[in-house]
Amino acid sequence: MKLGVTAILLVLLTAAAAAVSLLVGGTPLSVAQIATALAHPRDPGIVNAIVWQLRLPRVCVAATVGAALALCGAMLQGMLRNPLVDPYLTGVSAAAAAAIAIAILAGAAAGAMPAIGFVAGLGAAVLVASLARRGGGIDSNRLILAGVSLSTLFAAIVALVVVRAQSSDYAATIVAWLAGSMAGRGWHELAVAAPYLGVGALLALWAAAPLNALRIGELRARAVGVNVDRAQWIILAGSSLLAASSVVLAGLVGFVGLIVPHLARRLVGSDARVLLPACAAIGATLCMLADAICRRIVAPAELPIGVLLAFIGVPTFLYLYLHSPPSLNSSARVD
Amino acid sequence: MIELHDVALRIGGRRLLDAIDARIARGELVALLGANGAGKTTLLRAIAGLYPLGSGSICLDGSPGAQLGSLERAKRVALVTGDEVLLDALRVRDVVSIGRFPHHRWWQWREQPADENAVDRALAAVRMQDVAERFFSTLSAGERQRVWIALGLAQETPILLLDEPTSHLDVRVAHEILSLLRSLAEGGKSVVCALHDVNEALAYADRIALLGAQTLLAIAPTEAVLAGSLLERAYGIAMEQVRLSDGRLRVFARVPNGSSGGRRSPEPSA
Repeated sequence: MKLGVTAILLVLLTAAAAAVSLLVGGTPLSVAQIATALAHPRDPGIVNAIVWQLRLPRVCVAATVGAALALCGAMLQGMLRNPLVDPYLTGVSAAAAAAIAIAILAGAAAGAMPAIGFVAGLGAAVLVASLARRGGGIDSNRLILAGVSLSTLFAAIVALVVVRAQSSDYAATIVAWLAGSMAGRGWHELAVAAPYLGVGALLALWAAAPLNALRIGELRARAVGVNVDRAQWIILAGSSLLAASSVVLAGLVGFVGLIVPHLARRLVGSDARVLLPACAAIGATLCMLADAICRRIVAPAELPIGVLLAFIGVPTFLYLYLHSPPSLNSSARVD
Repeated sequence: MIELHDVALRIGGRRLLDAIDARIARGELVALLGANGAGKTTLLRAIAGLYPLGSGSICLDGSPGAQLGSLERAKRVALVTGDEVLLDALRVRDVVSIGRFPHHRWWQWREQPADENAVDRALAAVRMQDVAERFFSTLSAGERQRVWIALGLAQETPILLLDEPTSHLDVRVAHEILSLLRSLAEGGKSVVCALHDVNEALAYADRIALLGAQTLLAIAPTEAVLAGSLLERAYGIAMEQVRLSDGRLRVFARVPNGSSGGRRSPEPSA
C-alpha cells in the first residue's frame, strides 16, 4: 500500500475512533446532538456539558495516552534495537506506582497524585539512566538490566503496600489505579501533563533521523555522523516524559507501547519519519476504542483499560510476533 | 587528504596505536596491511573520529579531526565496515539513503533531489541499481559489501576508509570491488583500505601502510615495502616473493617443507 494512502487511512481511522468513543456513554446521544454540541461549545445545556466536560476530555486523554505510549515504545525499541522493549522499561511506571501506592496509604490528597507519580516516575528514569551510563552514552544491556531490576524492586514495594492496606479501602484504590483507567480524567489532568507531553513529542520528532540511522547499527550510525551518545540521552528523556505523562493521566496502561510499534512497522515499515506518526495514530485509535469498550461492556460499571488491553494485547502480540516474516517484523541477521 | 601526526591511542589502559605518522594524498589508494590484532581496524576508526586520540592529531583535508563536529566529520570521511549488524526490514535503497544523514538538519524530514541523485549515483557506482528495492537481508555477501560501499559513497566525502571490504568474497567479486576502489581513487578520493591479502594490495594499491605491534612499520610504494624483511616482521612468518612473467610481484607464505602456501600437487608417478 502506498504511504500516502496509508496516511489518509490512519487519519480517517483515528477520526472514526474518536467519533465512536464520543458516542459511547451512560446517556444516549445521537451523532447530530454531538455534532451540534461540538460546533457550538458555548451553548448552555446538558448535552453540551456531557460532550465538553465529560466525553471529549476523556477521549482526548485516551488518545493522548495511546499516542504517547506508542511513540515511547517505538523510540525505545528503535534505540535499543530490541523488539521486546516497552515504555515502562525505564522503571517509570513501577516507581510511579510505588510512590502513588505509598501516597494513597498515607492519605495524601487525590489531587496530589499526578505530581507524586510524575516526580517518582522521572526520578526512576534518571536513576536507571545513571546506572546504565557508560562513557558519554548509555549501555543498552545495562539499561535493560537496571530498568528490570528497579521495576522489580518497586513492584515489591507496591505489593508490600497493598498487603499493609488490605484491611482498608486504600487497597481497592491502589489496585484500581494499577489496572489503568481514564475514569474521571479531564481537561485539568491534560493541562498538567501538556508541557511534558509537548517536550516529549518534540524530542520524538528530533529523534526520527538518528533512529533511522541506528537501524544499521551503532557503529555505522556514528560513522555517518550521528552523535549516538546525545541521541540516546535525548531519546531516553523524551520517552521518559511521554511514559510519565501517560502514567499520570491513566495509571498503568500496558501493551500499547509494546504492540503498536510492531503493528505500525508491518503497515508502514521502519522509517522513523513515517513510523512515529503512524504509531501515534494507531496508539490513539487503540486507546480510544478500548476506553469506549471499557465504558460499555459492563455498564454502568467500568472495566479497567489495562485489563482489557492485556486480554486483547497478549494474543495480538503473540500472533504478530509468531506470524511475521523474519525480515519484516523483528530483525534479520546479517553476517 | 589525511595527515596523521604522532598518533597514539589507548583504550582501557591497553596500547592500541603508537607513534603513527603518515600522509595520504587525494587520488591515492593506500592498502593497510598487518597481522590480526595489529591495529588496522582501530586506525581506520581513529581516522573516522570514532575513538578519541590519546595524543597526536589527525587532520582531514587540513582541519584537525578532533575539532570537527560529528556531522562535519561525516561530510569529510566515510567509513565502510563489514561488521555484523542486525537490520530491520530495510531495502537496499533505504540503507544507502542513510549515508545522506550528515547532509540533513533534524527538521528536514523529506529527501531532497540532491539526496536522491547522490543515492542513485552511489548505487550505480557499485552496480546495484537493479536491486535497489530488494530487502538487504536477501542479498549475498558480495552484494551486501557493495551496498555498504554505496552507503559510504552516498556520504559524498573526499576520504573513504574501508575495513576488509574483500573478506569472505570470491575472487571475481573481490576484483570488482578493488577495481571500483581504484577508480574512486583515480577520481580524486583518498582511499584507505584494510586488507588481509598482500597480493590484492600489490595489485591495486598505490602504496602500502604496514602495521606491526600497534605502530606503522612503513608506508611506501607497494614493492618498496616488500624489500627487506618488513613483511616477515609484520606477519611473523617467512615470505617468498615470485616475479610473474609480466613483471608483477607476488608474495606467498613459505611453509616449513619448503613449498609456498597451498597444497602441493602430487608428483607424477613413473
